[in-house]
Amino acid sequence: MIDDGSLTERKPAADLSEADLLALLRAGDDEAFEELIRRHGPQMLAVIRRYLPEESDAQDALQEALLSVFKAIERFQGDSSLATWLHRIAVNAALMRLRTRRRRPEKPIEDLLPHFSDDGHRTEPRADWSVRPDDAAQNAELRGIVRTAIDELPESYRTILLLRDIEERSTEEVADLLELSLANVKTRLHRARQALRELLDRRLGESGRPGEMMR
Amino acid sequence: MSDEHLSCGEHRHDLSCREICDFMMAYLDGELPAGELAVFQEHMSLCPPCVQYLDTYKKTIALSKQCLDKEAAADPCSNAPKPPPVPDALVKAILAARKKSP
Ligand SMILES: [Zn+2]
Repeated sequence: MIDDGSLTERKPAADLSEADLLALLRAGDDEAFEELIRRHGPQMLAVIRRYLPEESDAQDALQEALLSVFKAIERFQGDSSLATWLHRIAVNAALMRLRTRRRRPEKPIEDLLPHFSDDGHRTEPRADWSVRPDDAAQNAELRGIVRTAIDELPESYRTILLLRDIEERSTEEVADLLELSLANVKTRLHRARQALRELLDRRLGESGRPGEMMR
Repeated sequence: MSDEHLSCGEHRHDLSCREICDFMMAYLDGELPAGELAVFQEHMSLCPPCVQYLDTYKKTIALSKQCLDKEAAADPCSNAPKPPPVPDALVKAILAARKKSP
């Protein structure tokens, strides 16, 4: 146990280094836990909200995530950064919550899949796609459009897109996590990307030339 | 066989755009078997709308990576707001739940 006497003077929790915070957490220090929530909770909650847009679900998942952090902190080895470890726990808690809560009716994805003419021909995209992905760093409006479009995906497709394309988990890992076949994960990822492409096609079209969004 | 090709809207389809679309992910992952890859490339060489679709499909993936920082930590834009703080009531509820849990 670390007692207050072992530190020359007790710093305000907000000034603790990550190493000192960890030492106090392992010792079960109450203030350190509160500081952990205040320091890392916002990022964890932001990640959880991607999977669970409804606030009450997201808050429940954060609580579950942090309770498992409190139980597992002694086993945290420090071979990844604390933020990375917490991120993983947050994603797992969000997935657990998705699994256990009552299923909600989901919008059909078909409306968002590409349209072909009866003989299988493609119809042209509408929007101006001259935007470069690198522009995103400079362009808050573009980031907002993309995030909103991802939120609009039907839940089961959004989850797979987040895990594969944002978290960069493997198809095998996603299949395990969601108890789906590999083929099913692949099909759903492809549909999710197509649906997101369609949503962006509509949004980028509405905003006029994306280049002009840059200020 | 190339003589028979008409242009898109008119061009000959060994596979329709709809079927070609289903190859795109495997193509990008380098997982298309040789025979299908040849058909895919042939179609792409003749069908500008499918080329454009593939381009925007790739951009969609790149944009989602760029716009959602993996760990939601540092927003790539330096002057963008950090994620909002955890609501006080929730912090208190979590600390209380910790005391209760074994
Ligand atoms: Zn085509």
